[in-house]
Amino acid sequence: MVFSSLLFTFAFLPVIAILYYSLGKHFRNIVLLTASLFFYAWGEPVYVLLMCSSIMINYWIGTLLGRDDTSKRKRQLFLIISLVFNLGCLAYFKYIGLIISTLASMSGWSLQLGTPALPLGISFYTFQTLSYVIEVYRGKVKAQKSLILFALYIAMFPQLVAGPIVNYADLESQLADRSMTFKKFNAGMRRFLCGLAKKVLLANNIGLLWSEVKAMPGTEISVLMAWVGIIAFALQIYFDFSGYSDMAIGLGKMFGFRFKENFRYPYSSQSISEFWRRWHISLGSWFKEYVYIPLGGSRVGKWKLILNLFFVWFLTGLWHGASWNFVFWGLYFGTLIYIEKVFLLKSMARWPKAVRHIYLLLLVVIGWVFFEFNNMADGLSFLRIMFGVGGNALMDHQGIGRLQAYALLYIVCIFAASPGPQNLALFFKALLLNRIGCNIYRLAVNLYCCTLMVVLTAYMVASTYNPFIYFRF
Amino acid sequence: MRINSKKKLALIQNGWGMLPFLLILALFILHLALPDKTFSQEERRYLAQWPVFDIETVLNGSYESKVEAYFSDQFPFRDVWVHIQEGSNQILFDR
Repeated sequence: MVFSSLLFTFAFLPVIAILYYSLGKHFRNIVLLTASLFFYAWGEPVYVLLMCSSIMINYWIGTLLGRDDTSKRKRQLFLIISLVFNLGCLAYFKYIGLIISTLASMSGWSLQLGTPALPLGISFYTFQTLSYVIEVYRGKVKAQKSLILFALYIAMFPQLVAGPIVNYADLESQLADRSMTFKKFNAGMRRFLCGLAKKVLLANNIGLLWSEVKAMPGTEISVLMAWVGIIAFALQIYFDFSGYSDMAIGLGKMFGFRFKENFRYPYSSQSISEFWRRWHISLGSWFKEYVYIPLGGSRVGKWKLILNLFFVWFLTGLWHGASWNFVFWGLYFGTLIYIEKVFLLKSMARWPKAVRHIYLLLLVVIGWVFFEFNNMADGLSFLRIMFGVGGNALMDHQGIGRLQAYALLYIVCIFAASPGPQNLALFFKALLLNRIGCNIYRLAVNLYCCTLMVVLTAYMVASTYNPFIYFRF
Repeated sequence: MRINSKKKLALIQNGWGMLPFLLILALFILHLALPDKTFSQEERRYLAQWPVFDIETVLNGSYESKVEAYFSDQFPFRDVWVHIQEGSNQILFDR
């Protein structure tokens, strides 16, 4: 099930919310776990068994690791077993196709093997599982005694299929006991609506522009059209993914959980390093905590640092999809971050703010070309068009026409990707709260939310088919 | 007395906060209550009906997509929503 489907918003959500709050405290976690397994099994009924067995095995390993009488040797062994099992599952179900095709093209064999369909959310729940096992191994958290609570940590439907990747230590205390109030429920609902709007209203509509450009034959795309298109893609992927994170955080809040933020206005950054501290934060901090720092972090020699960064960014790229262009995309950012680390950041401090911002946006947008074209040759020829090397026209009527038709949406999207809306909301709150009173202010805010809900429903009804870009990673 | 009215005020304020959820709930109840239609005049096609349960179609996922099709095809006031979307598209996106 996807959050932006009518079935989820208008049937699953109200039913679960009512069951959750009416059945009483003792049943809450069971309601949530059952709902989550149902949510996962919907449309993917077989792979729910894979997830359940992964939960079982890692619960058992966690218990063994948590026992005081386990020797250091044995603990290492258990950790390795868990790493091999979890990463093995991920490698088999996600990367076997890539491994086979790469081996085949390198050796010249023609290997024909059926590859399995990708289990939903496996990249996300594998990383959450690893976070748990590693934290227990390090002795930073106690092993979870309750299988239900552990299963809830892995399978909770708000963050199950598209993140954020929740660190076990952050959720440990909330699993057993969390406060639930009307206020939190309502705030969660509003956050969910905000994410839904990003997905349904902004990402889907600006995405139409990019799919138009992508469908055009390479010789007919003007330079203007190429830029208009790829910037539309940059906006689409941001609203798609951050919208999904907003929905997850909002849904979590409705059920009393507090998840960390996953996006902090990445396009307002002024350097690549800053961008990656603001984009998909939970993934970045996972790699930092469990790969980069164990390798020695930044406090190593020059060559070791290069090697560490290469490794981390190779994996970060690969995590996004089973295709070499994602690896290239990751290494592209790894290289830029290395350059910034070694000397560029120091001299960038003297650049005007606007120049730093343009530098960041330009490099990120170029990055999206590598990300979006699975075939590297296609991506490179698109880059050639963008920079006018291919001999394509600079501007054409179609490009100007598209720009005019999408002008308002474009402006709305760019504004919505900045901290502007947040600041505007705070401004209005400060302005209105004392003048019209708290009560009327709340009424106004919620009537606004209801209007938004009406518009969103209209868009959801009008378009039945609504897949997520980030859904299959 | 004062504490009481403060409590009342907090209750009203939280009540306003429930509006979006109540809107969702109302549409869900309407969906359950309104009779299913078989044909859509506007779309000139037969609308999806609740699928027959069959374990094989559940396991391959086709049952689930049929339920989703049923839910969106039989959504209360489907035509009205589509009109709202068309109107908003014209205002917002000039299309």
